[in-house]
Amino acid sequence: MQERIGVFVCKCGPNIGDKIDVDTIVNEVKNIDGVVTAKSHNLLCSNDGLEFLKEEIIKGNLSRVVVAACTPKMYEQKFMNTCEEAGLNPFLFHMTNIREQVAWVTPDKILATEKARKLCLAAINRMSFQEPIEKKEIDVQPDVLVVGGGVAGLEATLTLTAKGRKIILVEKDDSGKTETTESAQFRRVYLVEKSPCIGGVSARFEEVYQTMECAPCMLSPELQEVLQKENVETLTYSEVEEIVGSFGNFTVKIRRKARYVSEEACIGCNACFEPCPIEIPNQYDGGLSKRKAIYLPYAGALPNVPVIDRLNCLHLNGKECNACEQACAFGAINFEDEDRLIEKNVGAIILAVGSKLSDPTQFPQFGYGKYDNVLSAIQLERLNASNGPTGGKILLRNGQEPKSIAFIYCVGRKEKGYCSGICCMYMSALAHHVKEKLPDVKIYSFYTDLCLPKKEHQKIFEKVLAKGVEFIRSDGSEYVDYDGKKLIVKYKTESSVKSVLADMVILAPPVEPAKDIEKLAKLLDIPLDEHGFFSEEHILMKPFGAPLEGVFVVGTCQGPKDIGDSVAQGSASAGKILSRLMLGEKLELEPIVAEIDEEICCGCNTCIGLCPFSAIHRDVEKKVSVIDDTLCRGCGTCVAACPTGATKAKNFTMEQISAEIMEVAK
Amino acid sequence: MKDEKLAIVTFLCNWCSYEGADKAGNARLNCPSNIRIIRVMCSGRIEPQFVIQAFIDGASGVLILGCHPGDCHYKKGNYKAIRRISLLKKMLRQFGIEQDRVRLDWVSASEGERFAKVANEMAETIEQLGPLPELKILN
Ligand SMILES: Cc1cc2nc3c(=O)[nH]c(=O)nc-3n(C[C@H](O)[C@H](O)[C@H](O)COP(=O)(O)OP(=O)(O)OC[C@H]3O[C@@H](n4cnc5c(N)ncnc54)[C@H](O)[C@@H]3O)c2cc1C
Ligand code: FES
Repeated sequence: MQERIGVFVCKCGPNIGDKIDVDTIVNEVKNIDGVVTAKSHNLLCSNDGLEFLKEEIIKGNLSRVVVAACTPKMYEQKFMNTCEEAGLNPFLFHMTNIREQVAWVTPDKILATEKARKLCLAAINRMSFQEPIEKKEIDVQPDVLVVGGGVAGLEATLTLTAKGRKIILVEKDDSGKTETTESAQFRRVYLVEKSPCIGGVSARFEEVYQTMECAPCMLSPELQEVLQKENVETLTYSEVEEIVGSFGNFTVKIRRKARYVSEEACIGCNACFEPCPIEIPNQYDGGLSKRKAIYLPYAGALPNVPVIDRLNCLHLNGKECNACEQACAFGAINFEDEDRLIEKNVGAIILAVGSKLSDPTQFPQFGYGKYDNVLSAIQLERLNASNGPTGGKILLRNGQEPKSIAFIYCVGRKEKGYCSGICCMYMSALAHHVKEKLPDVKIYSFYTDLCLPKKEHQKIFEKVLAKGVEFIRSDGSEYVDYDGKKLIVKYKTESSVKSVLADMVILAPPVEPAKDIEKLAKLLDIPLDEHGFFSEEHILMKPFGAPLEGVFVVGTCQGPKDIGDSVAQGSASAGKILSRLMLGEKLELEPIVAEIDEEICCGCNTCIGLCPFSAIHRDVEKKVSVIDDTLCRGCGTCVAACPTGATKAKNFTMEQISAEIMEVAK
Repeated sequence: MKDEKLAIVTFLCNWCSYEGADKAGNARLNCPSNIRIIRVMCSGRIEPQFVIQAFIDGASGVLILGCHPGDCHYKKGNYKAIRRISLLKKMLRQFGIEQDRVRLDWVSASEGERFAKVANEMAETIEQLGPLPELKILN
């Protein structure tokens, strides 16, 4: 069938009208084979203009439309919508830019007219290869997997499940009577947490900046809510083992590690701890206290159901012991428990696995691990916590109160090559808490640079100064010695080497990626940055979107940050998901994508490695490459590399571009 | 109208360089009229074949502009373009086509002036080289 092409040249008032001889172009293109209408208009983007365009399409029964006007960046969408209103697929329309790229940059009217003419001819030539592109929608899972139950993951979970949706269904029966039924739909969140409890690292702190409030009190309502919400399935002591699929439809396998304590039967009386004969250092207290083989990470941890550590439990290692079982009045101990693999379908994934403080033995100059009273900040946090090893008392290993403490900031910053951003504040806050508890203690704070970027930071810092904490600027070359009685902190100032004596030294080592972040990155095939944190898609514009559609990296697993920023990212990622994976709705896909003709594809795999969005995979049975529409963004890099021409970039096909070249190259 | 004969087929990526060219227009900077623009989504879409076809169809030069390295909207398309175009340039020499007739460069969405500068430089280069002698081998 012969195409019926309409060409519309906009004068844009004088903007194009005075610079280009529009009538000459219109008169010439009228005579081109296939062009049934060619007209100019004074302002095509106006309501009048759009109405005119719509009428012309209908009246002329046009099958293709070319608009020569301003940049497509301004009104292309408007014109496409008009085409659609007139019953024409919007991709049977093409726009060429004769204002910004011709009229406004070419002072000579004859030259401008000639250039605009060429561009119009190119657009018309393209018309024979224009193809309708239909909007594609797919069924999606509204449910979400959240990995990591720290503040970021909790906030995401609560935002995602805050509200369901009322679905009103109106049905007509045979007699024509209508019946209305109302039902509610809820989004489910599977919250997978590796440790036995949720709350993450901050739930273990007594008081946190910037509010100086008790973190467990601040978090407790959130933790309770998550645990009680019907549409949240909290899977503690669990890990993700496998993820397949893509945005909208992921299938995940989760390993629920055997807890050996029934979550249904246990009432949380903790009577099982006391009789357990095993004692090992509690990693949740920075090794400062001992825990049993059946334990909770810390008093008050939620859910309040202990776990049995199978490495250390006598019974589970073939020895005669069932002390905990005997102590349990509720029959909750189950030595026969086994790991279970469960499978869930979700539409999106939020990774919120947090970070950790580097092991300070990496920086041997500070004597950590060598001298008893050199502690990491996380250990002081636990000493300061009322549910910690000393019940909140700041004590030396020998049980006495310290008379002097040296806080060393910026430990390992040079070695790591980045500032962790939170240490200046939490160290200052800790100094403040210690001063409250031990008003006479002498505190030295060694820093190289102070990082106080937020609106409350300066105020807190000044409060700490007012408490009499002595801040000493050094060049970062501090080291710690011991004279048999006291620790000696040696430091350099601009002019000399000096030292102070202290009973206790507190180190602020760098925040570094959590241990198994690499494993998760491999499961999803997403990149890590040079420091080992998850990479974001764009550090400014998509600061918490992983470079894989439907996957988000929030909180400190994306880089060091404080509670407020972690919560903000958790919430924001939930917002992104809520706006795209609507309950009861399908997902509309990007129309301009690439596609592969499996008849032509030779299975060379060239395209697979080139795709920046991992959108192409190999169909092993058919031995061809297949593009996932949900991941493809339509850049066309694979198309340019395909040796057989099997790959097509929709709306930017070989034929379409060739047709343009043919006219503009003349 | 001598430059009208020396067509320079210009491929612009949709995100940075196309907007850069628009900015040149917003600022009413003069650009040579033989710069003839074709929009593609990314510089990574440019097949060597497009360049060769442009010469066969009569172009005297081909200009390919993308986002600055590291800024590609699709992350790495422009790096792919670097590899393809440098290989292509080596091949073109064998056909007797001067390498300067093909230029790959970067213009950001705010760099109207840079677009005008690159466009004018390209036009000058092509004017000096003159029209492409008939391409017997390619035909
Ligand atoms: C010593 C110290 C003091 C601090 N003091 C303050 C303060 O006063 N104020 C402030 O605003 N910020 C403070 N911070 C920062 C604050 O702790 C973090 O911003 C916050 O904890 C980050 O929350 P998150 O959810 O990203 O990670 P986290 O709190 O680290 O939580 C991550 C969770 O993911 C779990 N997880 C890890 N790996 C996996 C896996 N593979 N699968 C499933 N789950 C996994 C972890 O067990 C953990 O529960 C401090 C940090 C430190 C280290
Ligand atoms: S989008 Fe501009 S070069 Fe890739």
